[in-house]
Amino acid sequence: MIDEVVAYVDKNAAAIMQALWQHIEISLIAILITIVIAIPLAIGLVNRPKIGEIISQIAGVIQTIPSLAVLGILIPFVGIGTVPAIIALVLYAIMPIFQNTYAGLTHIDPVLLEAADALGVTKRFKLFRIELPLAMPMILSGIRIATVLVIGTATLAALIGGGGLGTYILLGIQTNNNAALIVGAVLSAILALVASWLIKVLSQFSFKKLGIGVLVVLILGGAGLGWSLFNKPSQTITIAGKMGGEPEILINMYKDLVKQESLQTKVQLKPNFGGTSFLFKALQSDQIDVYPEFTGTVLQSLVHSPKKVNSEPQLAYRDAKNALSQKFHMRYLKPMAYQNGYAITVRQSTAKKYHLRTIADLQRVGSQLTGAFDPDFYQQSDGYPGLRKAYHFQLKSVRTMEPSLRYVALADGRVDVTDAYTTDPQIREYHLVVLKDSKQFFPPYQGAPLMTDQFAKTHPQVVRALSRLAGKITTRDMQEMNYQVTVKHRSAAAVAKQYLQQHHLLK
Amino acid sequence: MIEFTNVTKKFDGQFALKDLNLTIDDGELFVLVGPSGSGKTTLLKTINRLVVPTSGTVKIDGEDVADSHLQKLRRHIGYVLQTGALFPNMTVEQNATIQLDNLGWPAQKKHDRVVELMSKVNLDPDQFLNRMPDELSGGEAQRVGIVRALAARPKLVLMDEPFSALDPVSRRQLQKIILNLHQQIDTTIVFVTHDMHEAFLLADRLAVIHNGVLLQEGEPDYLMANPADEFVKRFFDVDNSGTRLLKQVLNAGLGRPVGKDDQAITLQNSQTVYEWAGLLEKNPSQLILVDGAILTQSDLISYVADLGKEPTND
Repeated sequence: MIDEVVAYVDKNAAAIMQALWQHIEISLIAILITIVIAIPLAIGLVNRPKIGEIISQIAGVIQTIPSLAVLGILIPFVGIGTVPAIIALVLYAIMPIFQNTYAGLTHIDPVLLEAADALGVTKRFKLFRIELPLAMPMILSGIRIATVLVIGTATLAALIGGGGLGTYILLGIQTNNNAALIVGAVLSAILALVASWLIKVLSQFSFKKLGIGVLVVLILGGAGLGWSLFNKPSQTITIAGKMGGEPEILINMYKDLVKQESLQTKVQLKPNFGGTSFLFKALQSDQIDVYPEFTGTVLQSLVHSPKKVNSEPQLAYRDAKNALSQKFHMRYLKPMAYQNGYAITVRQSTAKKYHLRTIADLQRVGSQLTGAFDPDFYQQSDGYPGLRKAYHFQLKSVRTMEPSLRYVALADGRVDVTDAYTTDPQIREYHLVVLKDSKQFFPPYQGAPLMTDQFAKTHPQVVRALSRLAGKITTRDMQEMNYQVTVKHRSAAAVAKQYLQQHHLLK
Repeated sequence: MIEFTNVTKKFDGQFALKDLNLTIDDGELFVLVGPSGSGKTTLLKTINRLVVPTSGTVKIDGEDVADSHLQKLRRHIGYVLQTGALFPNMTVEQNATIQLDNLGWPAQKKHDRVVELMSKVNLDPDQFLNRMPDELSGGEAQRVGIVRALAARPKLVLMDEPFSALDPVSRRQLQKIILNLHQQIDTTIVFVTHDMHEAFLLADRLAVIHNGVLLQEGEPDYLMANPADEFVKRFFDVDNSGTRLLKQVLNAGLGRPVGKDDQAITLQNSQTVYEWAGLLEKNPSQLILVDGAILTQSDLISYVADLGKEPTND
């Protein structure tokens, strides 16, 4: 296990460092914004205990809302990426900082406040030289609690494309890559501990020095932000991909092809950016410019067409393309050859023993076989229930299992039949047999680049470049590349480049 | 001059001060004395408007404090609290210069002033200026509190039971310091205490307050000799106070009626046996007149001789 993690870190060091830095950046910005909001708010409400109580209650309620829900609520208003992640984090962090500041200020020895009043000090003197310094230990402990909270919660930023260490946790869960999971989780835990320790050290310094320190960080941060905004290359296009190795391979190919077509176009990649609806919203709001999407997904999840998905891949693509164009003014380029749809797999030995070639063959021997399916597949009408009706078969027993576990269970012989995605590398890894869907029950899932009409019009060079992949990459090619990336842990960029070169798509 | 006119203060419908009239003259060390809860601290705080009277006026040098700029008013009034009330986040010097900071004094002038006052309260500036309050004893902290109150050369200093939390030795030292300082500087001091001995020791004049009412005011010896009522008498605990009054000599059955040729005089100041003895020291045959009776040298001798026989409650 440790070897795996070390190897993983070794291979992805640069990307991990970037994620770590991104994590620190998001957390720091969130904490600074929270400090700027929560502390003045508490100061303003010290002499208005009723309103102070109400704000405390509201801040408390916000904290009880699951962070995922807050992110979901925010997407329509502020879109995706770093901004909503920071807003959500700020909402979370306000409570501890506000409450501690408020409590710190309201629990100062009244004798000292009377002394300050009796000596006729100015309001400013009283606040900055007496009240805040005396409340500082409480305020700092609030900031410490908030920081630890924010660093932990910031892992969720990955869900909405905010990046950070959460990317590795998410990636680890989705691809059953424990090394990635451990890297993400351990690093964020270490970061929280270090930050907590750092604040403890900082609390030794005087109020004045701390104030100057915060100011310097704010100014540097602001300058850095301004600089990066100012220096943003004008012709940058952003290509994003869903979670996992396959989309990452594809967007790396997109990048190589675009760069070949037009050298001055800068391409920014956002791998492991999120789920379908999330990426689609990002595309609509111009936060990203291109992402690869499947025809089946378009028809079933995005355009919600009332008629049944056409089982003929070309027709399905045509339907998807038209619907996207009419409903969303989007351009859906021609798909690649491979299909990444549902499939039913068995072990080679099982296939031999029962002479299994198509799903229809299960009618014969199904009652002797046990099945394990992904929970979604087990429930959806276009999954197991529909399949069983279409092919009239019955299995001895069926249970649900995590997607990544079901392959292991199948390979170990604990179950005999599972669902699969046709390009999953495990099919190759465990030498599994995919049963033919002779009745074309499963809708076609062909991948193709999706972008807005507007973008396609203004970036013809990108359209030209990405069209080169149309009809390329067979299911077997994709399986092989996925195997290289998710099982062999080769970098997606290298695998993508190798394919493009071998197939003369890249000079 | 501080003038209280018909000052009344109610807290939650309860009288803390009831229609109180009092004048404190410039340069006086004036003591407000009374049992705890009597309203003496409340009265003190009406001077710098930490307490706003329900009705009545408080004037300093003819100006109603209600009409003055609050912070300016307070910056020119020294204030010493019961516990010193030094700010724990500031050094001794920072604490001592708070009013000077707010008055905008230049740094060197502030430093010199604090150094000067530190030596007056017997604290070595080199040793103490950079200490934090938690490194001070109670007595040291209160000395810094006094330095803080005097730093801005106020015409008026308010002291709210400043020595009540100290041990007897420190208390006596600080009482001496206050008396010395008061002699050296031309400042009015209003001093609140519940300790009758302290009141007698310090006061130029004092006022006895009980249940928000001013019972009696005047010089200590006068009050001792002529308590206005039973409460004042009991509060001063005249019989056991250690102070021996001429009246007590009469009460002991000594003295004789005034004769025709008696050349008697009346004591002017304290009406105590000590003053009497001092007089007899210079002129052994001097007769004195107390409440229509004549006391002679032999009366004093008999009185002091009898004191040794009876049990005392001191």
